[in-house]
Amino acid sequence: MTLLHACDWLAATRWSTSLRESTYAYPAVESVHVLTLCLFLGLTIAMDLRLTGVAFRRLPAREMVARLQPWIRPGFAVMALTGSLLFLANPTTTITHRAFQVKLVLLTIAGLNAAIFPRGVYRSPAHWATAAGPPLAARIAGGVSLAAWTGVVAAGRLIAYEFLRPVS
Amino acid sequence: VWTFAEWCQQSAIGEAVRHSLWAFPLVESVHLLGLALVGGAVLLVNLRLLGWILAGVPLADLARDAERALIGGLVIMLASGFVLFSSEAEKMYGNSAFRTKMLCLAAALLFTFTIHWRVVHSDEQRVSGVTRRLAAAISLLLWSGVGISGRAIGFF
Repeated sequence: MTLLHACDWLAATRWSTSLRESTYAYPAVESVHVLTLCLFLGLTIAMDLRLTGVAFRRLPAREMVARLQPWIRPGFAVMALTGSLLFLANPTTTITHRAFQVKLVLLTIAGLNAAIFPRGVYRSPAHWATAAGPPLAARIAGGVSLAAWTGVVAAGRLIAYEFLRPVS
Repeated sequence: VWTFAEWCQQSAIGEAVRHSLWAFPLVESVHLLGLALVGGAVLLVNLRLLGWILAGVPLADLARDAERALIGGLVIMLASGFVLFSSEAEKMYGNSAFRTKMLCLAAALLFTFTIHWRVVHSDEQRVSGVTRRLAAAISLLLWSGVGISGRAIGFF
C-alpha cells in the first residue's frame, strides 16, 4: 500500500530516526504536546461553554470569541507542530494504530465544525451578545466542538497503548 | 504515608484498574480532559489578571464562571488522579516526579484558594497592578509545576 510505503520511507529519514532515538527531544516534544492542551483546549472549552450558553453568559459572546482566538490559534499551531513531530518519529506504527485513525476522523470533524461555524453563526452574533440564550446554530457548533475534542483527547491518549494495535 | 499507599494499592479500585486493559488508559484520558478544564480556567483568570485578554470585561464576571470550571475540573482531576495513583501507589511512593507534583499541587491549591482568591475578588480599583501581576505569575508558575512534574511521572 502506498500510504504505508510513504510512512516507511519517512521512518527511514534522518529526522525521524534521530527524533525516535533521542533521549530528551522526544519526551520534550511529547510534554509540550500534552501541556499545550491547557492553552488550546482549555480556552476552546471556555469558548464552547459560552457558545452553548452553559457558562460565561455575562460576557459578550463576540468579544469572548474574538479575544480568545489570538490565544487559541497559536495553541493549535503548537499542538499541530508537536503532533506532527510525534507522528514523524513513528509514522508506520502510528498510522496503523486504531486510536490514531479514530483521532484523525474526530480531528476532521472538529476542523470542519470550526470552519463552518463562523459563516453560519459568528456573522451575526450581535443580537445574542449578552444574557439572551445563544441561537441553536451556536449551541450545535459549541456542542460538536466539545464532543469532538473530548474524543480527540481520549483517542490521542490511547495511541500510547500497544494492545490497540492490530497484530501484523 | 507508606501505609496509605499500601492500602490504596490493595484496595478494590487499585486491583481492578491494575488488572484491566482498558481502565488505566481511559481514566488517564479523563484525567487529561480535567487538565484542559483546570488549565483553561487557570489561564483565563491569570491572563485577565495580567491584562492580556478580555481587559474590557469585569474580572468578577469572568472569575465566577472560571472558578466553577476550575472546581469542576479539580474534582475530575482529583478523582481520576486518585484512581490512577491507587493502581500503582507503591511505585508512586518512591517516584520523585510524583512527589514534586504533590508538593506543587498542595502549594498551588493553597495559593489559589487564599491569596489568589482574595486578589481576584477584591475591588479592582483597590488592588495594585503589581499585586495582580505577581499573583497571576505565581499561580501560573505553581500550576505549570504541577503539569510538568505530572507529565514527568511517566519518565521515571
